Amino acid sequence: MKLIKKIVSGNEAIAIGAYKGNAKFASGYPGTPSSEILDYFKEYDGVQAQWASNEKAGYEAALGASFAGVRSFATMKHVGLNVAADPLMTSAYTGINAGCVIVCADDPGMHSSQNEQDNRYYAKFAKIPLIEPSDSFEAIGFMQYAFIVSERFDLPVLFRSTTRISHSLGIVQYDPRTLDNEKELKLDKNFRKYVMIPSNAIIKHKDLLEKLDKLKQFSNETPINIIEPGKSNVGIITNGISYNYAKEIMPDAHFFKVGFSYPMPIEKIKNFAKELNRVIVIEELEPYMEEELKVAGLKVEGKKYFPQDGEFNLDIVEEGLHKAGFIKKDKSSVVFEDIELPKRPPALCPGCPHRPIFDILHSHRNVYITGDIGCYTLGSLPPLSAMHTTICMGASLSVGIGASKVEKNEKVVSVIGDSTFFHTGIQSLVDAYVNKADMTMIILDNRVTAMTGGQPDPSSGTNLFNETFTPVNIAKLAKAIGIERVFEVDQYDYEATKKILDREIETPGLSVIVALRPCVLMPKKIKDTPLVVTDKCIGCKRCLRIACPSIDFKNNAAIIDESTCTGCEVCLKVCPVEGAIVIKEGKQI
Amino acid sequence: MNIESVLFVGVGGDGIITASNVVAEAFMLAGLDVKKSEIHGMSQRGGSVSASVRFGEKVYSPTDKLGTVKFMLATEKIEALRWIKYLNRDSVVVVNDRIVPIINQTIDESSIDESMKTVDTKVFIQRNFLDDAKKLGNIKIANTVMLGVLSKLIPVEEKFFIKAIENIVPEKIRGINLKAFEYGKGIE
Ligand SMILES: Cc1ncc(C[n+]2csc(CCOP(=O)(O)OP(=O)(O)O)c2C)c(N)n1
Ligand code: SF4
Ligand code: SF4
Repeated sequence: MKLIKKIVSGNEAIAIGAYKGNAKFASGYPGTPSSEILDYFKEYDGVQAQWASNEKAGYEAALGASFAGVRSFATMKHVGLNVAADPLMTSAYTGINAGCVIVCADDPGMHSSQNEQDNRYYAKFAKIPLIEPSDSFEAIGFMQYAFIVSERFDLPVLFRSTTRISHSLGIVQYDPRTLDNEKELKLDKNFRKYVMIPSNAIIKHKDLLEKLDKLKQFSNETPINIIEPGKSNVGIITNGISYNYAKEIMPDAHFFKVGFSYPMPIEKIKNFAKELNRVIVIEELEPYMEEELKVAGLKVEGKKYFPQDGEFNLDIVEEGLHKAGFIKKDKSSVVFEDIELPKRPPALCPGCPHRPIFDILHSHRNVYITGDIGCYTLGSLPPLSAMHTTICMGASLSVGIGASKVEKNEKVVSVIGDSTFFHTGIQSLVDAYVNKADMTMIILDNRVTAMTGGQPDPSSGTNLFNETFTPVNIAKLAKAIGIERVFEVDQYDYEATKKILDREIETPGLSVIVALRPCVLMPKKIKDTPLVVTDKCIGCKRCLRIACPSIDFKNNAAIIDESTCTGCEVCLKVCPVEGAIVIKEGKQI
Repeated sequence: MNIESVLFVGVGGDGIITASNVVAEAFMLAGLDVKKSEIHGMSQRGGSVSASVRFGEKVYSPTDKLGTVKFMLATEKIEALRWIKYLNRDSVVVVNDRIVPIINQTIDESSIDESMKTVDTKVFIQRNFLDDAKKLGNIKIANTVMLGVLSKLIPVEEKFFIKAIENIVPEKIRGINLKAFEYGKGIE
């Protein structure tokens, strides 16, 4: 069989590994940096894959497939595991049938996240095996291995990536054939194993503790906890991406590379450390390994020299090793010092349907705007500045309910995207109705999960496999709940949208406004005839307040970049001067 | 062979990812080890984007160390300046002579140009590659023209770059990209 050699991302490697590991079902919810895994996986023959509406539903579906005898996995970003934590904790008790893996990608440095929690603690919390690759090549092998470990110990396995693993590429070489399952499996009906009523769960918890003892031994034996002997008299214990930085800076040290990190390979590390003068732990984020080792009585150092926040890189690891006295650092290699430069923050796209909503909300004085997570979170940045909270997905509506109950002076408006609404917003819509909240809920139904790259959601009308269905209609759903004041608006009709928003914000009680204009980028790019600024422009800068990337200001007048303007006409609608912004000639109306 | 690196910097939508994929592929075809990192979380919304391609006999880290980047391809001047800490006097810089506006900010173009002058690396090529691309009939191929320029300075045979373009670039625009690469090689 010919080997395939190519350059792949960590995420593609995880999909390859899952396929080679004979996984036949996958389910997840998008979230940077994990989102591409399912897209790669779904391309393989004979597999099924789906987007779930949130991570809990995603992981539970994977569990269901496992119980039915098929190897399966779930994908999510780190905070997604908070949502899936409920099934995670109890599935450690039930165990699995066919191999079941939770692929979860942490985001040290918060390239695209609201926090940088270290999910390794979830493995310890749930008492399940934790596997961490350090690059694409390892991701293929480790992912296959994860299914074997899962079946051997009858436990779900947590497979942890990070942004730098998922979104870095490396050369891989692999045999494209798949492994067979260790044994033939079919749907497993077993009351004592799968029905976690207390009498069964009490027994299963004891089982789990027994498994944990076996896992502790296994961690010392597994080939993915590797000793790489060096020449110096110091040792480095490290995992994941940190291994690469340390290895490049200090290739001569003795290395203990931890690929199986819960439970930690305590005995093997004790042996490793025995002959060494000093041993240091290099790990991003929390001192997880350091603490495990210290509790086991090992004399190791770690966070004393390395930061507990942010992402590592070669410079940070070099600095830490220098502070620890492991290496001598030449004087700074920096030749060109930083120059003060304007930051280039991301912005809503030209033509983005979210823009008019925030421009309208910006004009309201006494509103408290609870926001959520998606492209529309950019509405919190100046000059739109129309969002006062962002916590986690779904929180806009429920935070809004609480605030509306106690706040007497400001009207609460909450803003949520469609994918976020289906994720964890629906419940709060019901709550607001039941508890008679006095608030305005705006659901930005752009028909897609735009922020994470345009994955379909329940209002897209297509699924991951491109099968079509009648989209879930959010306005009808709200009415079916019993809510009376439900309105649909098209944001490109700026005046009509403004009229409804203004009126509902003034009206006491609960109202729901569904904003229906689709995203301009996804699923396909929309570009209409661009607009141009004429010499009637008085330079008032009103159009700059909508934060459209196509509008710049030069020589006391606005100027529109025709190559990027989508022709949404929102700037024209807010411009106070008739004829200052016009549609470029040639457009048929 | 030491580990060396090509750092690509620019603005979301500039085609940084494709350009860096082509270079990574060329190194692999030349028999070298390669790692590449890219950050594309918010790139679609016009923020800063970067990708580094590191190559050598054996590469560990996918990202660079300050002051050690040998080659930089910048599609915009402010973004080039944002990353100068990674360069040194031996570096080779190819930068597109353009400034992409930033929302809600007035950019002092002359001070940006002043700063560009302080980047006195061994090779520094600043040129309006969009004009070149326009001349060739497609403004989207400016990056490939820049790659052509850079390819003469990177220690990898040209045939690997050409093969890499054939492997990575979609068929519809392959021809024009090969032409742009050829054209770039001709630029002094
Ligand atoms: C629990 C959790 N899962 C996933 C994410 C990643 N994520 C951020 S925003 C978002 C969806 C945004 O979609 P939508 O609400 O439709 O807004 P849009 O981006 O389309 O405007 C996702 C999946 C997250 N932050 N938290
Ligand atoms: S991707 Fe779509 S939703 Fe996101 S900013 Fe652009 S237009 Fe708006
Ligand atoms: S019409 Fe105006 S607001 Fe819309 S994309 Fe063009 S410049 Fe931006």
